[in-house]
Amino acid sequence: MNGRPRARRLAAAVAACALVSTAAPAFAQVDFSGAWGARLHEDNLERGGGPEMNEFEGLPINAADRMRGDSWSASLWTVPEHQCIPHPADYGPNFSQLVMWSDVDPVTKDVVAWHTELSWMNPVRTIWMDGRPHPPAWAPHTWQGFSTGKWEGDMLTVETTHLKPAYVRRNGLARSEKAAVREHFIRNGDILTIVTIVTDPVYLTEPYIKSRNFQFDPGYRMTPYPCSVDVEIDRPAGEIPHYLPGANPFISEAAAKHKMPLEPARGGAETMYPEYMERMKTLPTATMPAQPAAAGTAAPPASPAAVGTPARTPER
Amino acid sequence: MKYRVVVILAVWASLLAGRAGAHHSFAATYFEDKTQTIEGTIVQFMFRNPHSFVHVEAPDDNGQMQRWAVEWAATAQLKESGVDYESLKPGDHVIVTGNPGRTASDHRLRMQSVERPKDGWKWSGTVR
Repeated sequence: MNGRPRARRLAAAVAACALVSTAAPAFAQVDFSGAWGARLHEDNLERGGGPEMNEFEGLPINAADRMRGDSWSASLWTVPEHQCIPHPADYGPNFSQLVMWSDVDPVTKDVVAWHTELSWMNPVRTIWMDGRPHPPAWAPHTWQGFSTGKWEGDMLTVETTHLKPAYVRRNGLARSEKAAVREHFIRNGDILTIVTIVTDPVYLTEPYIKSRNFQFDPGYRMTPYPCSVDVEIDRPAGEIPHYLPGANPFISEAAAKHKMPLEPARGGAETMYPEYMERMKTLPTATMPAQPAAAGTAAPPASPAAVGTPARTPER
Repeated sequence: MKYRVVVILAVWASLLAGRAGAHHSFAATYFEDKTQTIEGTIVQFMFRNPHSFVHVEAPDDNGQMQRWAVEWAATAQLKESGVDYESLKPGDHVIVTGNPGRTASDHRLRMQSVERPKDGWKWSGTVR
């Protein structure tokens, strides 16, 4: 007899718990809405004025990507088709103020999607939260890709595919369209950290991981960033500035400038790890290459290909 | 002491301040440790994003006339420093100093300063 009231109380408690668990979300979803100011504490020099030529240390690149970097000329950015390319989703958080907002289903009140917009070039991303699948591999690839998100506790984890081929560093190191990107959006008070993990079966031998911090900046207002394509440098149509294999005169410049060996500057997964410091101690310091003449001086170039003599190759 | 405080504040500000990022790397594009001065006539001023350009007809070191492409800042940064699309016009005679580009055949400079002797108009600064 005594067991029946207890059983009823237990049943009521279970029912109450069930009611509460269905009425409230399984966990508290963090709100990322608002404006965020970029904080450049990490990798400041690379993210500000930009990396130096052939400075690949700390990146898990393979030999193919090293060759892409060695054959790249910064003059490529002056080609009309390249002038207004926005930074891709996996590179954009390096820079720029960030604004985030969500789309909420008017009936269920569920967050259907998160959006991000960066100040430089104003690229907008959509992160779908409604469980939709990624499109098939043949679907269009874009600079911002196709992103889906899910909550892992208080952390938003985002998977992105369908990115156009772009770069892992602004000195020619490539990232292919086959890459997949995983991001973790983590908010601690007024600080938002975005951890980006890039895997690329074409150009990376290990995942490339970086984190970028933003500070909540409610007074910030995004401004338009119209970009116009013009003739920055007059060059023949179809000319793609580049260096032929073995003709890049700047390969050892960054290493020599910073008084470090050449090997780490050539990059590779091993250069990411602390134990590589021991190997660096055994390597000779790089020597400064003989630089080709600066623009407008009388000295002839070291070799025709070395200073970007017009060459026609199909653009990738 | 005063100098040290200024330096610390400058470094601190550069670390904390958000910036509009450039699409290319200046260190990879120009010889940042070199400067070059040209004197000639403006043929085009492109006040634009991602970066503004001033095209100047001026002789190179051989005396050959060249069309120099002088890269300047994005519109927002130039506006902040008092430059707008009417600040320079084709036909203006100017003296430009900048970092020379790594590709000699581009005849390119990264703007460090520009001066128009006719009326004394000047600009100098760091292009980001």
